[in-house]
Amino acid sequence: MAWFTDRHFFLLAVALYGLSAVYSVFLWRRGFRTDDRANYFLLLAAFALHTLAMFLRGFNFKQCPVNNLYEATTFIAWTIVAAYLVIGLLPRLRFLGAFASPILFAMGVFALMPALDPPHAAQPDFSNGLTSLHAALILLAIGAFGLSAVAALMFLTEEHDLKFHKLRAIFSLLPPIQRLERVMNGLLFGGILLLTAGLSIIPFLPTEKSDGHLKNDPLLPYSIFIWLFYLVLLVARWKFGQGGRRFAWSALGGFVFILLTFWGFLLLSPIHHP
Amino acid sequence: MNVIVIGLSHHTSPVELREQFAFADVKIPDALKSLREFGIAGEAVILSTCNRVEIYAATSLEPAKAFAELKQFLKTAHAFENPLGEEIYTLAEPHSLQHLFKVASGLDSMVLGETEILGQLKTAYKLAHQHKHTGARLNKAFQRAFNVAKHIRTHTSIQRGSVSVASVAVELAEKIFSSLAEREVLVIGAGETSEKVARALLSRGAKSIIVASRSFERAEILAKEFGGRAVQFEDWSAEFEKIDIAISSTSAPHHILDRAKLEPLMRARKNRPLLLIDIAVPRDIDPAVNFLENVYLYNIDDLQSIAADYLKQRKEEIVRCEQIIAEKVKPLLEMKKVRPQISTDGHRLKPMSAES
Repeated sequence: MAWFTDRHFFLLAVALYGLSAVYSVFLWRRGFRTDDRANYFLLLAAFALHTLAMFLRGFNFKQCPVNNLYEATTFIAWTIVAAYLVIGLLPRLRFLGAFASPILFAMGVFALMPALDPPHAAQPDFSNGLTSLHAALILLAIGAFGLSAVAALMFLTEEHDLKFHKLRAIFSLLPPIQRLERVMNGLLFGGILLLTAGLSIIPFLPTEKSDGHLKNDPLLPYSIFIWLFYLVLLVARWKFGQGGRRFAWSALGGFVFILLTFWGFLLLSPIHHP
Repeated sequence: MNVIVIGLSHHTSPVELREQFAFADVKIPDALKSLREFGIAGEAVILSTCNRVEIYAATSLEPAKAFAELKQFLKTAHAFENPLGEEIYTLAEPHSLQHLFKVASGLDSMVLGETEILGQLKTAYKLAHQHKHTGARLNKAFQRAFNVAKHIRTHTSIQRGSVSVASVAVELAEKIFSSLAEREVLVIGAGETSEKVARALLSRGAKSIIVASRSFERAEILAKEFGGRAVQFEDWSAEFEKIDIAISSTSAPHHILDRAKLEPLMRARKNRPLLLIDIAVPRDIDPAVNFLENVYLYNIDDLQSIAADYLKQRKEEIVRCEQIIAEKVKPLLEMKKVRPQISTDGHRLKPMSAES
């Protein structure tokens, strides 16, 4: 089945994300009044295909599949759906899937653009285990920020309903907004821990590639900015009780910013895109 | 034997009349015994609640004769001498069985779909069964009614949602807070509805209740009842730092809480979510506070419209429930055709132990 590559499996996973996104529109129009089990299983099936695609790619190249923009995007999407499948075991938090699937679908379509997946060089960019760990930790962190943005979107929808569409708010089966806020907070906290770990590996990475470039690499200040942004967000919440709508908008805005800028900075980076 | 029903309910008679026909629990066994001794019924169950007094009887008498005797029995048992008209209803098969199923399912209740009646019906049946006043017909009918009620509860939305202001308020609180266990509730002005809301919140696990009323004495009585504490009316805003839910029902002619007053209070409470329930008319809380972050304001109209919408949904389910009932009654009627009749000679009837 050589003609059926890891990209084909990923394509099937994206198709399921798309199906789930369509189903989510119906759920939303029905006011989230029925359990989101169907969506959960759709995303579970998509996750299986997505995982298979990543495994195949990893085995083919004998390294963690985090070498180009296609792989980075699929890794982030995989983290989002994996974290969702765990959180979605709680019935009411299962509705996160309805908010996550359009984002997963969009990320999948973006990742499938051929230009993002150039053929691997003879000498892989990430030839060292520590380098792979660095990349994986950062992408896992972005995935956690992504799911927290999904929870933020859900929070904002429900909060708006509670204030202005009171009937819809009460008839829906969405979880209490305070619980959503905790989920957001937990994911951001996990994300910043992963990002911190990922960034703190940098001094120990092989130097032959980064030597002379690190200071000029725009991805470094970019990563520090992202790290600081989320740190400030968490400290503001912990120290000054900055919760609710502003917290949710910040979590959502932060991830949208990453989605819009990450690939650009990755392409600009002489180390990551030599 | 036919199963028949005679009774009065909130549909046909006012409480002033219903209370005259109510049976005290202790008197029901004797009343059932009399019904059988007089030969009116071979089996009987008496259901006496605040909303209805009904006698379910299995009798071999002609329905018309049985109804006349049962009516007389009711009047005699309660020394009621005035004439009775449409306040009393009488139903023969299949309507009697359908009525029993409807009552069990809460379809005939004042609050459509409520479940309390099922418990009351079970108690009434148990009492009759314990005193051996039920037999094959009523055992089968009641067991089937309980099963149908369960089926309707799980397969329709007849019992979904809250249809009272108090329970809607609780549901709202559960949409905002992860758990009610750690929530403190402030009741400002002690009206009947705010009391009910506070009670409902307490029953769902709210941590404590603080009562502020213009009459401190009244506040203390209420607080004691709730196991909470009373504060002077002038000091209610000082409690905002601690509380999570405020229920307001004062008779003030103007807003007692507005945006300017709430903003600093929200800062003091570190912007924790705050649910405000304004039951007062004229309103106690300026609607503009709803625009503040983490503040959720609901007035009496909001709560009532949610309750009304739930009720509307329940009403839309009635047709489905009635179809289920019609289907479930059929086998019971067919079973009667093929089963030998049990005599009503006053002998002890063998109760059925299990429902097929």
